[in-house]
Amino acid sequence: MSSDIEKAQSFVSRLLQNPALRDFTPLQREEQLIQFLHVNSAQLAPTLSSQQFFPGKNWNQIFSILLEALYGLVNEELLPEIEQSITGINYTFLQFLRQQQADDTLVKGQISKLVTGLMQKPDARRGFTGAFSALRFHSVDRYLDEAFARKTYIHFELTKVQRLRMGRDEIKSFVELTLLLKPVINLISSSAPTQQERTTGMVQSQFADKVFSLVKKQIKILPEQVIKSAVDASLSFNENRFIEATSRLAAVFSARSRNYQPNMRVDRGADSPDKSWFSIARRNYKFYGFDIKLLDELYKTAAENNW
Amino acid sequence: MAAILLVLIQTFLEDLAVMLDWGASLRQTLLILGFVFDLFFTIEFIVRVYDSWRMNRVGSYFWYERGWIDFLASIPLLLLNSGPAMLAIAAGGVTVMGIGGMLNVLKVVKAIRIARVLRLLRVLKVFRRIKNTESVMAQRHVAMISATTVSVFVAVLLAGTLVGAFITVPSLDLEFQAHSFDVLRYLADDAVRENPDVRKRFLEAEDTVLMVRDGGAVVFSRYPDSYFEKHFGPGDYGYLELNDVAVFIDLRPVNQDQSATNIRYFFVIIVIILVLMFIYSPHFAMTISDPIHIIRRGMSEQGYNLEVIIPAQYGSDDVYELGRLYNEVFLPMKNRSGSETEVSSLKMDDLKDLFD
Repeated sequence: MSSDIEKAQSFVSRLLQNPALRDFTPLQREEQLIQFLHVNSAQLAPTLSSQQFFPGKNWNQIFSILLEALYGLVNEELLPEIEQSITGINYTFLQFLRQQQADDTLVKGQISKLVTGLMQKPDARRGFTGAFSALRFHSVDRYLDEAFARKTYIHFELTKVQRLRMGRDEIKSFVELTLLLKPVINLISSSAPTQQERTTGMVQSQFADKVFSLVKKQIKILPEQVIKSAVDASLSFNENRFIEATSRLAAVFSARSRNYQPNMRVDRGADSPDKSWFSIARRNYKFYGFDIKLLDELYKTAAENNW
Repeated sequence: MAAILLVLIQTFLEDLAVMLDWGASLRQTLLILGFVFDLFFTIEFIVRVYDSWRMNRVGSYFWYERGWIDFLASIPLLLLNSGPAMLAIAAGGVTVMGIGGMLNVLKVVKAIRIARVLRLLRVLKVFRRIKNTESVMAQRHVAMISATTVSVFVAVLLAGTLVGAFITVPSLDLEFQAHSFDVLRYLADDAVRENPDVRKRFLEAEDTVLMVRDGGAVVFSRYPDSYFEKHFGPGDYGYLELNDVAVFIDLRPVNQDQSATNIRYFFVIIVIILVLMFIYSPHFAMTISDPIHIIRRGMSEQGYNLEVIIPAQYGSDDVYELGRLYNEVFLPMKNRSGSETEVSSLKMDDLKDLFD
């Protein structure tokens, strides 16, 4: 068995080192590799079940071994990066939410435990791909700096509607923590999600309420607003008009960053990657449950900055 | 490529040398070089025809891969232009250019000019090898437009020169020819022949006459022999004879005028091609092939979702109408299908050596 794992690690490691995946985050690489295995299973199965690799095993068994090896290898890179993201967030905004001091180390420890635990679940890993990329490529920083300079819809929603009485950097940290905790929605499995829910990653509000109650019990140190923000980031704005602005932003950034490639070569005559993405998202806002006005502002920001 | 570039430089220098009256030996060297190039391109054309014949695609090479340009810019030039010039050099100049009187001389000069025009087609051979855009479609279209424009220009010049050669129309050449005959008739007149002083005064004032022989003896020479050797080559002079009087006429002013015209044509063609390459070609790429390239990628690559930029001024073009549909209908639909996330940058080929 250990020999199988070693072979699988060697095989997966070889694929992970492919130059085509160089610019991706560990979770993006993982998704790419899983997709590759799915798409090419018919060609891979005969070879991988040969004497040289995993003799006597069917494709499902081989896939499980490869997946185990893949998670192991990706975790070696992913978990330290998650820790880095957790450490990188400034938690002073929590004081503004509950008017009392919290021990940062304790907060970080509990978040780390929760997120690391979630990374054992394939659904959570998949759901975290976009949020993790958004954190890694500092989408929140870039767009919220612009939103605060514009002081239009997003700024109004954050400061007046959600009433976040804190500075720009604290709000940015709030959105980043929302992104980091977004996979909590996968803490329990949703029963029979629709095709649209599978594609968009959105859930029903009753399910979100259930998750909220569960997470609240698990991580008492965090204010409810933070947990609510993270859970509501997986709700459709069309059906839930009172979703927090931080959740709406996290939902958009997470979706945007799922396939984000930092060094993407833009063909002559093509729009920039972010502008293109926001333009498409504006047309599909109902399908994905995004806030159209928020998308409009992000689209304008991307267009003006050629992002 | 280097050979074609050199031949263009040679073509330009050959006319420049005539226009600026460079030394005969230098002009002769350029003529010989021209012959070598014509021979080279003739051999190249024959080899290409043979090669395409072996693959049973002569028609394709000749008509679609611009073999006709290779043909026109090689064999006719060798037979009508540099070949006769080489013969003239080999024969010492006068044989080809001087026989049969002035009328024939000018006709031969014109025939050579007709062939020389074809040399301008070689500009196309140079520029078809320059790829200023990545789009194969843009390259092909610009090559087509360049070939059509230059060929039509050359064909019109050719037709004009042909008409001038075979139909007598008033021209500077004819005036020069008539004047030369007048001079010959005057010098062959017995009264002038018997009066050397009158003839001498006349010839000193008549710049076109280089030398006069009367009954085989040289009775007038404008320059010493060493000057003739240094400054006169084949085609620089004409030979007329009447009543035992032979006159050598200076054809350099006619040639210089023609070379100046050739240089003008040469630059007109170069400018046309440069404009097509550096103004029209990018315009074509930006307004036609680039949007199509983006749409093609968006349709064939699952993870590609960049929109086509629709310029306001071209928004009603069919290509941009298509681009608008791609942006507003296709990409959102593709995005909703979730196919963007079902894509992998990995290919089976990446595992080729592992599985071999």
